[in-house]
Amino acid sequence: MSELSQKLQAYLRTKLAAPDLAVSGLARIPGGASRETYRFRAHYDGSERGLILRRDPPASLIETERAAEYRAYEAFHGLGLPVPAPVVLELDAAPLERPFFIMEEIENCQTGSIMSPDPYGPHRDSVGRQFYTVLGRIAAVDPRDVGLGDFEGETDIHNVAMHEVARWEKVVEEDEREPQPIARAAIRWLKRNPPPPAQKISVVHGDYRTGNFLFDDGGTIRAILDWEMSHLGDPLEDLGWAIDPLWAGGNAAFPGGMIARAEAIRIWEETSGLKADPEALQWWEIFASLKGAAIWISAACEYAEGRNIDPINAFSGWFCLSFHNKVLADRLAALS
Amino acid sequence: MSPEVGTILGLTTQKIASGFGADGAAFAAGTAGLLAMVLSLSAKEYDRAADIRCAENNDLRALFAALAPGVRDAALKAKLEDAAAAKDASLRISALNESNYALRRLLTALQIDAEDNGARDAERRIWAVLKAMADRRLVQLGP
Repeated sequence: MSELSQKLQAYLRTKLAAPDLAVSGLARIPGGASRETYRFRAHYDGSERGLILRRDPPASLIETERAAEYRAYEAFHGLGLPVPAPVVLELDAAPLERPFFIMEEIENCQTGSIMSPDPYGPHRDSVGRQFYTVLGRIAAVDPRDVGLGDFEGETDIHNVAMHEVARWEKVVEEDEREPQPIARAAIRWLKRNPPPPAQKISVVHGDYRTGNFLFDDGGTIRAILDWEMSHLGDPLEDLGWAIDPLWAGGNAAFPGGMIARAEAIRIWEETSGLKADPEALQWWEIFASLKGAAIWISAACEYAEGRNIDPINAFSGWFCLSFHNKVLADRLAALS
Repeated sequence: MSPEVGTILGLTTQKIASGFGADGAAFAAGTAGLLAMVLSLSAKEYDRAADIRCAENNDLRALFAALAPGVRDAALKAKLEDAAAAKDASLRISALNESNYALRRLLTALQIDAEDNGARDAERRIWAVLKAMADRRLVQLGP
Protein backbone atom coordinates (compact mmCIF):
# COMPACT_ATOMS: atom_id res chain seq x y z
CA MET A 1 0.00 0.00 0.00
CA SER A 2 1.39 3.39 -0.99
CA GLU A 3 2.06 6.13 1.52
CA LEU A 4 -0.77 8.22 0.05
CA SER A 5 -3.14 5.28 0.32
CA GLN A 6 -2.20 4.74 3.97
CA LYS A 7 -2.72 8.39 4.80
CA LEU A 8 -6.05 8.43 2.99
CA GLN A 9 -7.22 5.36 4.84
CA ALA A 10 -6.24 6.81 8.21
CA TYR A 11 -8.01 10.06 7.38
CA LEU A 12 -11.24 8.40 6.26
CA ARG A 13 -11.34 6.07 9.27
CA THR A 14 -11.50 9.14 11.48
CA LYS A 15 -13.59 11.38 9.24
CA LEU A 16 -16.27 8.79 8.52
CA ALA A 17 -16.10 7.25 12.02
CA ALA A 18 -15.38 3.89 10.42
CA PRO A 19 -12.41 2.36 12.28
CA ASP A 20 -12.34 -0.72 10.04
CA LEU A 21 -12.45 1.20 6.75
CA ALA A 22 -9.97 -0.09 4.18
CA VAL A 23 -8.74 1.70 1.08
CA SER A 24 -7.72 -0.29 -1.98
CA GLY A 25 -6.88 0.25 -5.63
CA LEU A 26 -5.74 3.86 -5.34
CA ALA A 27 -4.64 4.87 -8.86
CA ARG A 28 -4.10 8.24 -10.46
CA ILE A 29 -6.28 9.14 -13.44
CA PRO A 30 -4.55 10.80 -16.42
CA GLY A 31 -5.43 14.36 -17.36
CA GLY A 32 -6.33 17.42 -15.40
CA ALA A 33 -3.49 19.82 -14.73
CA SER A 34 -5.31 21.82 -12.07
CA ARG A 35 -6.03 18.92 -9.69
CA GLU A 36 -4.46 15.51 -9.11
CA THR A 37 -7.27 13.00 -9.55
CA TYR A 38 -7.27 9.45 -8.15
CA ARG A 39 -9.84 6.68 -8.04
CA PHE A 40 -9.99 4.21 -5.15
CA ARG A 41 -12.28 1.76 -3.37
CA ALA A 42 -13.38 2.24 0.23
CA HIS A 43 -14.56 -0.85 2.10
CA TYR A 44 -16.58 -0.17 5.25
CA ASP A 45 -19.80 -1.07 7.03
CA GLY A 46 -19.93 -4.28 4.99
CA SER A 47 -20.02 -2.53 1.63
CA GLU A 48 -17.63 -1.26 -1.04
CA ARG A 49 -17.77 2.19 -2.58
CA GLY A 50 -15.94 3.68 -5.55
CA LEU A 51 -14.62 7.15 -4.77
CA ILE A 52 -12.62 9.91 -6.43
CA LEU A 53 -9.94 11.94 -4.66
CA ARG A 54 -9.23 15.41 -6.07
CA ARG A 55 -6.07 16.86 -4.53
CA ASP A 56 -4.42 20.20 -5.17
CA PRO A 57 -1.22 19.79 -7.18
CA PRO A 58 2.10 21.29 -6.07
CA ALA A 59 1.42 24.15 -8.57
CA SER A 60 -1.97 24.76 -10.13
CA LEU A 61 -2.54 25.74 -13.74
CA ILE A 62 -5.19 28.25 -12.77
CA GLU A 63 -5.56 29.25 -9.16
CA THR A 64 -8.95 27.92 -8.24
CA GLU A 65 -10.77 27.59 -4.98
CA ARG A 66 -11.41 23.97 -4.08
CA ALA A 67 -14.06 24.94 -1.50
CA ALA A 68 -16.05 26.69 -4.23
CA GLU A 69 -15.75 23.66 -6.49
CA TYR A 70 -17.00 21.42 -3.69
CA ARG A 71 -19.95 23.72 -3.00
CA ALA A 72 -20.88 23.63 -6.68
CA TYR A 73 -20.92 19.82 -6.61
CA GLU A 74 -23.11 19.93 -3.50
CA ALA A 75 -25.53 22.44 -4.99
CA PHE A 76 -26.09 20.84 -8.37
CA HIS A 77 -26.02 17.25 -7.14
CA GLY A 78 -28.73 18.32 -4.72
CA LEU A 79 -30.85 19.57 -7.62
CA GLY A 80 -30.83 16.18 -9.27
CA LEU A 81 -28.55 17.17 -12.15
CA PRO A 82 -26.00 14.58 -13.30
CA VAL A 83 -23.28 15.63 -10.86
CA PRO A 84 -21.33 13.23 -8.60
CA ALA A 85 -22.23 13.27 -4.91
CA PRO A 86 -19.56 15.07 -2.87
CA VAL A 87 -18.37 13.14 0.17
CA VAL A 88 -15.83 15.18 2.09
CA LEU A 89 -13.87 18.43 1.75
CA GLU A 90 -10.58 18.91 3.58
CA LEU A 91 -8.88 22.30 3.47
CA ASP A 92 -6.17 21.37 5.97
CA ALA A 93 -3.03 20.34 4.12
CA ALA A 94 -1.85 18.09 6.96
CA PRO A 95 -3.68 14.82 6.19
CA LEU A 96 -2.59 14.45 2.53
CA GLU A 97 0.03 17.19 2.21
CA ARG A 98 -2.35 19.42 0.20
CA PRO A 99 -6.07 20.31 0.40
CA PHE A 100 -8.42 17.87 -1.28
CA PHE A 101 -11.95 16.67 -1.61
CA ILE A 102 -13.58 13.30 -2.23
CA MET A 103 -16.66 12.51 -4.29
CA GLU A 104 -18.41 9.42 -5.53
CA GLU A 105 -17.05 7.66 -8.61
CA ILE A 106 -19.42 7.39 -11.55
CA GLU A 107 -18.47 3.98 -12.90
CA ASN A 108 -18.60 2.34 -16.34
CA CYS A 109 -18.57 5.66 -18.18
CA GLN A 110 -16.29 7.47 -20.59
CA THR A 111 -15.44 11.01 -21.66
CA GLY A 112 -15.35 12.37 -25.19
CA SER A 113 -11.98 13.46 -26.49
CA ILE A 114 -11.54 16.86 -28.11
CA MET A 115 -8.99 15.17 -30.40
CA SER A 116 -11.58 12.81 -31.85
CA PRO A 117 -13.53 13.96 -34.91
CA ASP A 118 -16.52 11.94 -33.69
CA PRO A 119 -16.23 11.57 -29.90
CA TYR A 120 -19.76 10.27 -29.30
CA GLY A 121 -20.32 7.95 -32.27
CA PRO A 122 -23.94 6.77 -32.56
CA HIS A 123 -24.87 8.75 -29.43
CA ARG A 124 -23.85 12.11 -30.90
CA ASP A 125 -27.36 13.56 -31.22
CA SER A 126 -28.63 12.19 -27.93
CA VAL A 127 -25.56 13.28 -25.98
CA GLY A 128 -25.72 16.71 -27.63
CA ARG A 129 -29.34 17.28 -26.68
CA GLN A 130 -28.65 16.26 -23.07
CA PHE A 131 -25.50 18.38 -22.97
CA TYR A 132 -27.28 21.61 -23.87
CA THR A 133 -30.34 20.74 -21.80
CA VAL A 134 -28.22 20.34 -18.68
CA LEU A 135 -26.40 23.58 -19.44
CA GLY A 136 -29.74 25.34 -19.85
CA ARG A 137 -30.87 23.94 -16.50
CA ILE A 138 -27.73 25.24 -14.81
CA ALA A 139 -28.33 28.67 -16.37
CA ALA A 140 -31.94 28.69 -15.17
CA VAL A 141 -31.02 28.23 -11.50
CA ASP A 142 -31.05 31.26 -9.21
CA PRO A 143 -27.73 30.98 -7.32
CA ARG A 144 -29.43 32.10 -4.08
CA ASP A 145 -31.83 29.18 -4.29
CA VAL A 146 -28.98 26.69 -4.09
CA GLY A 147 -26.93 28.48 -1.45
CA LEU A 148 -24.45 29.98 -3.90
CA GLY A 149 -25.53 33.62 -3.72
CA ASP A 150 -22.18 34.51 -2.16
CA PHE A 151 -20.13 32.68 -4.79
CA GLU A 152 -17.10 34.36 -6.34
CA GLY A 153 -17.91 36.61 -9.26
CA GLU A 154 -19.66 39.79 -10.30
CA THR A 155 -23.35 40.15 -9.49
CA ASP A 156 -24.07 43.41 -11.34
CA ILE A 157 -25.51 42.50 -14.74
CA HIS A 158 -23.91 45.63 -16.23
CA ASN A 159 -20.39 44.84 -15.02
CA VAL A 160 -20.18 41.07 -15.29
CA ALA A 161 -18.58 40.97 -18.76
CA MET A 162 -15.81 43.46 -17.93
CA HIS A 163 -15.21 41.70 -14.62
CA GLU A 164 -14.38 38.52 -16.53
CA VAL A 165 -12.21 40.35 -19.07
CA ALA A 166 -10.22 41.89 -16.22
CA ARG A 167 -9.81 38.49 -14.59
CA TRP A 168 -8.25 36.91 -17.69
CA GLU A 169 -6.28 40.01 -18.67
CA LYS A 170 -4.57 39.68 -15.29
CA VAL A 171 -3.62 36.08 -16.11
CA VAL A 172 -2.12 37.19 -19.44
CA GLU A 173 -0.27 40.04 -17.70
CA GLU A 174 1.21 37.75 -15.09
CA ASP A 175 2.01 34.71 -17.19
CA GLU A 176 2.96 35.76 -20.73
CA ARG A 177 6.58 34.83 -21.35
CA GLU A 178 6.62 36.42 -24.79
CA PRO A 179 4.51 39.22 -26.33
CA GLN A 180 1.00 38.06 -27.25
CA PRO A 181 -0.28 40.64 -29.76
CA ILE A 182 -3.41 38.66 -30.68
CA ALA A 183 -4.54 38.11 -27.10
CA ARG A 184 -3.81 41.77 -26.31
CA ALA A 185 -5.80 42.92 -29.32
CA ALA A 186 -8.68 40.63 -28.32
CA ILE A 187 -8.72 42.12 -24.81
CA ARG A 188 -8.90 45.64 -26.24
CA TRP A 189 -11.68 44.62 -28.65
CA LEU A 190 -13.69 43.06 -25.83
CA LYS A 191 -13.33 46.23 -23.76
CA ARG A 192 -14.25 48.55 -26.62
CA ASN A 193 -17.26 46.53 -27.73
CA PRO A 194 -19.08 45.53 -24.53
CA PRO A 195 -22.00 43.13 -24.85
CA PRO A 196 -25.55 43.91 -23.73
CA PRO A 197 -26.09 43.52 -19.95
CA ALA A 198 -26.55 39.96 -18.72
CA GLN A 199 -30.16 38.79 -18.64
CA LYS A 200 -29.51 37.40 -15.19
CA ILE A 201 -26.72 36.28 -12.92
CA SER A 202 -26.26 32.51 -12.90
CA VAL A 203 -23.76 29.99 -11.67
CA VAL A 204 -21.30 29.64 -14.53
CA HIS A 205 -19.65 26.22 -14.63
CA GLY A 206 -16.57 27.78 -16.19
CA ASP A 207 -15.32 24.76 -18.15
CA TYR A 208 -18.45 23.17 -19.59
CA ARG A 209 -17.32 21.27 -22.70
CA THR A 210 -16.54 18.01 -24.42
CA GLY A 211 -14.06 16.16 -22.22
CA ASN A 212 -15.57 17.37 -18.96
CA PHE A 213 -18.56 15.06 -18.65
CA LEU A 214 -19.11 11.32 -18.44
CA PHE A 215 -21.59 9.33 -20.52
CA ASP A 216 -22.43 5.65 -20.39
CA ASP A 217 -22.67 2.98 -23.11
CA GLY A 218 -26.30 3.86 -23.68
CA GLY A 219 -25.42 7.48 -24.43
CA THR A 220 -26.77 8.91 -21.18
CA ILE A 221 -24.83 11.76 -19.57
CA ARG A 222 -24.10 10.60 -16.03
CA ALA A 223 -21.80 13.28 -14.63
CA ILE A 224 -20.83 16.87 -15.26
CA LEU A 225 -17.29 17.23 -13.91
CA ASP A 226 -14.57 19.82 -13.28
CA TRP A 227 -16.44 22.64 -11.57
CA GLU A 228 -13.16 24.17 -10.42
CA MET A 229 -13.63 27.42 -12.37
CA SER A 230 -17.29 27.86 -11.41
CA HIS A 231 -18.38 31.36 -10.44
CA LEU A 232 -21.26 33.79 -10.70
CA GLY A 233 -21.65 35.44 -14.06
CA ASP A 234 -23.50 35.77 -17.34
CA PRO A 235 -24.92 32.37 -18.38
CA LEU A 236 -23.89 33.13 -21.97
CA GLU A 237 -20.29 32.68 -20.82
CA ASP A 238 -20.84 28.92 -20.50
CA LEU A 239 -22.68 28.71 -23.83
CA GLY A 240 -19.89 30.61 -25.62
CA TRP A 241 -17.30 28.29 -24.06
CA ALA A 242 -19.28 25.11 -24.83
CA ILE A 243 -19.50 25.95 -28.55
CA ASP A 244 -15.88 27.05 -28.93
CA PRO A 245 -14.36 25.33 -31.99
CA LEU A 246 -11.42 23.92 -30.02
CA TRP A 247 -13.68 21.27 -28.50
CA ALA A 248 -14.59 19.87 -31.92
CA GLY A 249 -11.30 19.88 -33.80
CA GLY A 250 -12.23 23.19 -35.38
CA ASN A 251 -15.68 22.15 -36.59
CA ALA A 252 -17.67 25.23 -35.58
CA ALA A 253 -20.85 23.94 -37.23
CA PHE A 254 -21.05 20.98 -34.83
CA PRO A 255 -19.54 22.34 -31.62
CA GLY A 256 -18.14 19.77 -29.23
CA GLY A 257 -18.60 17.08 -31.88
CA MET A 258 -22.30 16.94 -31.05
CA ILE A 259 -25.44 18.49 -32.56
CA ALA A 260 -25.57 21.41 -34.99
CA ARG A 261 -24.88 24.83 -33.53
CA ALA A 262 -28.37 26.19 -34.25
CA GLU A 263 -30.06 23.26 -32.51
CA ALA A 264 -27.67 23.55 -29.57
CA ILE A 265 -28.62 27.19 -29.08
CA ARG A 266 -32.32 26.45 -29.49
CA ILE A 267 -32.24 23.75 -26.80
CA TRP A 268 -30.27 26.00 -24.45
CA GLU A 269 -32.76 28.84 -24.93
CA GLU A 270 -35.74 26.55 -24.41
CA THR A 271 -34.32 25.01 -21.23
CA SER A 272 -32.87 28.13 -19.68
CA GLY A 273 -35.75 30.44 -20.55
CA LEU A 274 -33.13 32.92 -21.77
CA LYS A 275 -32.23 34.33 -25.18
CA ALA A 276 -28.91 33.84 -26.91
CA ASP A 277 -28.85 37.28 -28.52
CA PRO A 278 -26.50 36.92 -31.55
CA GLU A 279 -24.57 40.09 -30.72
CA ALA A 280 -24.11 39.07 -27.09
CA LEU A 281 -23.22 35.49 -27.99
CA GLN A 282 -20.63 36.67 -30.51
CA TRP A 283 -18.99 38.72 -27.76
CA TRP A 284 -18.99 35.73 -25.39
CA GLU A 285 -17.58 33.45 -28.10
CA ILE A 286 -14.66 35.83 -28.65
CA PHE A 287 -14.29 36.06 -24.89
CA ALA A 288 -14.21 32.23 -24.73
CA SER A 289 -11.30 32.06 -27.15
CA LEU A 290 -9.47 34.80 -25.21
CA LYS A 291 -10.09 32.96 -21.94
CA GLY A 292 -8.73 29.80 -23.57
CA ALA A 293 -5.66 31.67 -24.79
CA ALA A 294 -5.07 33.00 -21.26
CA ILE A 295 -5.31 29.51 -19.79
CA TRP A 296 -2.84 28.13 -22.33
CA ILE A 297 -0.45 31.06 -21.79
CA SER A 298 -0.59 30.19 -18.11
CA ALA A 299 0.01 26.50 -18.84
CA ALA A 300 3.08 27.32 -20.92
CA CYS A 301 4.40 29.54 -18.14
CA GLU A 302 3.90 26.88 -15.44
CA TYR A 303 5.73 24.37 -17.59
CA ALA A 304 8.56 26.54 -18.88
CA GLU A 305 9.34 27.84 -15.40
CA GLY A 306 9.40 24.29 -14.02
CA ARG A 307 6.52 24.61 -11.55
CA ASN A 308 4.44 21.92 -13.23
CA ILE A 309 6.22 19.83 -15.86
CA ASP A 310 3.22 17.70 -16.72
CA PRO A 311 3.53 17.41 -20.53
CA ILE A 312 -0.13 18.43 -20.91
CA ASN A 313 1.03 21.95 -20.09
CA ALA A 314 3.58 21.97 -22.91
CA PHE A 315 0.96 20.59 -25.29
CA SER A 316 -1.57 23.23 -24.22
CA GLY A 317 0.99 26.00 -24.55
CA TRP A 318 1.69 24.97 -28.12
CA PHE A 319 -1.34 23.38 -29.74
CA CYS A 320 -4.22 24.96 -27.84
CA LEU A 321 -2.73 28.46 -27.77
CA SER A 322 -1.90 28.39 -31.48
CA PHE A 323 -5.46 27.19 -32.16
CA HIS A 324 -7.11 29.95 -30.15
CA ASN A 325 -4.77 32.59 -31.59
CA LYS A 326 -5.95 31.55 -35.04
CA VAL A 327 -9.62 31.61 -34.03
CA LEU A 328 -9.22 35.08 -32.52
CA ALA A 329 -7.24 36.44 -35.48
CA ASP A 330 -9.78 35.11 -37.99
CA ARG A 331 -12.76 36.48 -36.06
CA LEU A 332 -11.32 39.86 -35.21
CA ALA A 333 -9.80 40.41 -38.66
CA ALA A 334 -13.25 39.83 -40.11
CA LEU A 335 -14.66 42.46 -37.74
CA SER A 336 -11.92 45.02 -38.36
CA MET B 1 6.82 29.51 -29.01
CA SER B 2 6.96 29.19 -25.27
CA PRO B 3 8.08 26.73 -24.06
CA GLU B 4 10.90 26.51 -26.61
CA VAL B 5 12.04 23.15 -28.00
CA GLY B 6 15.15 23.16 -25.82
CA THR B 7 13.05 23.59 -22.68
CA ILE B 8 10.72 20.78 -23.70
CA LEU B 9 13.60 18.40 -24.41
CA GLY B 10 15.23 19.22 -21.08
CA LEU B 11 12.05 18.86 -19.01
CA THR B 12 11.02 15.70 -20.87
CA THR B 13 14.38 14.17 -20.02
CA GLN B 14 13.83 15.19 -16.40
CA LYS B 15 10.32 13.70 -16.42
CA ILE B 16 11.54 10.38 -17.82
CA ALA B 17 14.54 10.24 -15.52
CA SER B 18 12.45 10.90 -12.42
CA GLY B 19 10.03 8.10 -13.35
CA PHE B 20 6.29 8.45 -13.66
CA GLY B 21 5.17 4.90 -12.99
CA ALA B 22 4.50 5.32 -9.29
CA ASP B 23 0.97 6.58 -9.82
CA GLY B 24 -0.20 3.42 -11.57
CA ALA B 25 -0.23 1.91 -15.06
CA ALA B 26 -3.09 4.01 -16.48
CA PHE B 27 -1.48 7.27 -15.44
CA ALA B 28 1.93 6.15 -16.69
CA ALA B 29 0.45 5.16 -20.06
CA GLY B 30 -1.31 8.53 -20.34
CA THR B 31 1.86 10.41 -19.45
CA ALA B 32 3.95 8.37 -21.91
CA GLY B 33 1.45 9.11 -24.68
CA LEU B 34 1.58 12.82 -23.96
CA LEU B 35 5.37 12.82 -23.82
CA ALA B 36 5.45 11.08 -27.20
CA MET B 37 3.12 13.66 -28.68
CA VAL B 38 5.10 16.58 -27.29
CA LEU B 39 8.36 15.09 -28.62
CA SER B 40 6.74 14.58 -32.01
CA LEU B 41 5.61 18.20 -32.09
CA SER B 42 9.09 19.28 -30.99
CA ALA B 43 10.60 17.50 -34.00
CA LYS B 44 8.31 19.51 -36.31
CA GLU B 45 9.03 22.73 -34.45
CA TYR B 46 12.79 22.14 -34.74
CA ASP B 47 12.41 22.15 -38.52
CA ARG B 48 10.20 25.22 -38.85
CA ALA B 49 11.24 27.42 -35.91
CA ALA B 50 13.80 29.63 -37.69
CA ASP B 51 11.67 29.89 -40.82
CA ILE B 52 8.64 31.07 -38.83
CA ARG B 53 10.59 33.73 -36.98
CA CYS B 54 12.41 35.01 -40.09
CA ALA B 55 9.18 35.23 -42.08
CA GLU B 56 7.36 36.93 -39.22
CA ASN B 57 10.17 39.44 -38.67
CA ASN B 58 10.24 40.24 -42.38
CA ASP B 59 6.45 40.73 -42.48
CA LEU B 60 6.52 42.99 -39.45
CA ARG B 61 9.37 45.15 -40.80
CA ALA B 62 7.58 45.50 -44.13
CA LEU B 63 4.39 46.50 -42.32
CA PHE B 64 6.22 49.08 -40.23
CA ALA B 65 7.88 50.53 -43.33
CA ALA B 66 4.48 50.83 -45.00
CA LEU B 67 2.61 52.33 -42.06
CA ALA B 68 5.24 54.53 -40.37
CA PRO B 69 4.69 57.50 -42.71
CA GLY B 70 1.07 57.78 -41.57
CA VAL B 71 1.84 57.67 -37.83
CA ARG B 72 1.56 61.08 -36.13
CA ASP B 73 3.22 60.12 -32.84
CA ALA B 74 6.83 61.11 -33.54
CA ALA B 75 8.39 58.74 -31.02
CA LEU B 76 6.43 55.76 -32.30
CA LYS B 77 7.14 56.72 -35.89
CA ALA B 78 10.89 56.80 -35.19
CA LYS B 79 10.77 53.38 -33.53
CA LEU B 80 8.88 51.95 -36.48
CA GLU B 81 11.38 53.38 -38.96
CA ASP B 82 14.32 52.03 -36.97
CA ALA B 83 12.74 48.60 -36.69
CA ALA B 84 11.87 48.53 -40.39
CA ALA B 85 15.46 49.25 -41.33
CA ALA B 86 16.97 46.58 -39.06
CA LYS B 87 17.99 43.07 -40.13
CA ASP B 88 18.46 39.79 -38.31
CA ALA B 89 22.18 39.24 -37.92
CA SER B 90 21.94 35.69 -36.62
CA LEU B 91 19.70 32.71 -37.30
CA ARG B 92 19.99 31.36 -33.77
CA ILE B 93 16.49 30.92 -32.32
CA SER B 94 17.42 32.95 -29.25
CA ALA B 95 18.57 35.87 -31.42
CA LEU B 96 15.53 35.65 -33.69
CA ASN B 97 13.27 35.55 -30.63
CA GLU B 98 14.90 38.65 -29.19
CA SER B 99 14.17 40.69 -32.33
CA ASN B 100 10.76 39.02 -32.78
CA TYR B 101 9.63 39.91 -29.27
CA ALA B 102 10.67 43.54 -29.79
CA LEU B 103 8.86 43.64 -33.13
CA ARG B 104 5.72 42.10 -31.66
CA ARG B 105 5.68 44.66 -28.83
CA LEU B 106 6.02 47.41 -31.40
CA LEU B 107 3.20 45.87 -33.43
CA THR B 108 0.88 46.17 -30.42
CA ALA B 109 1.91 49.82 -29.94
CA LEU B 110 1.21 50.49 -33.62
CA GLN B 111 -2.16 48.74 -33.44
CA ILE B 112 -3.22 50.74 -30.37
CA ASP B 113 -2.19 53.92 -32.17
CA ALA B 114 -4.28 52.92 -35.21
CA GLU B 115 -7.28 52.04 -33.02
CA ASP B 116 -7.04 55.30 -31.08
CA ASN B 117 -6.83 57.36 -34.28
CA GLY B 118 -9.48 55.49 -36.26
CA ALA B 119 -6.94 54.48 -38.91
CA ARG B 120 -9.14 51.73 -40.35
CA ASP B 121 -6.94 50.86 -43.31
CA ALA B 122 -3.92 50.50 -41.03
CA GLU B 123 -5.98 48.32 -38.69
CA ARG B 124 -6.97 46.05 -41.57
CA ARG B 125 -3.37 45.72 -42.71
CA ILE B 126 -2.25 44.92 -39.16
CA TRP B 127 -4.93 42.25 -38.85
CA ALA B 128 -3.83 40.73 -42.14
CA VAL B 129 -0.33 40.34 -40.69
CA LEU B 130 -1.68 38.97 -37.39
CA LYS B 131 -3.75 36.44 -39.33
CA ALA B 132 -0.68 35.36 -41.29
CA MET B 133 1.26 35.01 -38.02
CA ALA B 134 -1.49 32.84 -36.51
CA ASP B 135 -1.68 30.69 -39.63
CA ARG B 136 2.07 30.20 -39.76
CA ARG B 137 2.37 29.30 -36.08
CA LEU B 138 -0.67 26.97 -36.00
CA VAL B 139 0.46 23.62 -34.60
CA GLN B 140 -0.74 20.72 -36.76
CA LEU B 141 -1.21 17.39 -35.02
CA GLY B 142 -1.21 15.21 -38.11
CA PRO B 143 1.82 13.90 -40.00
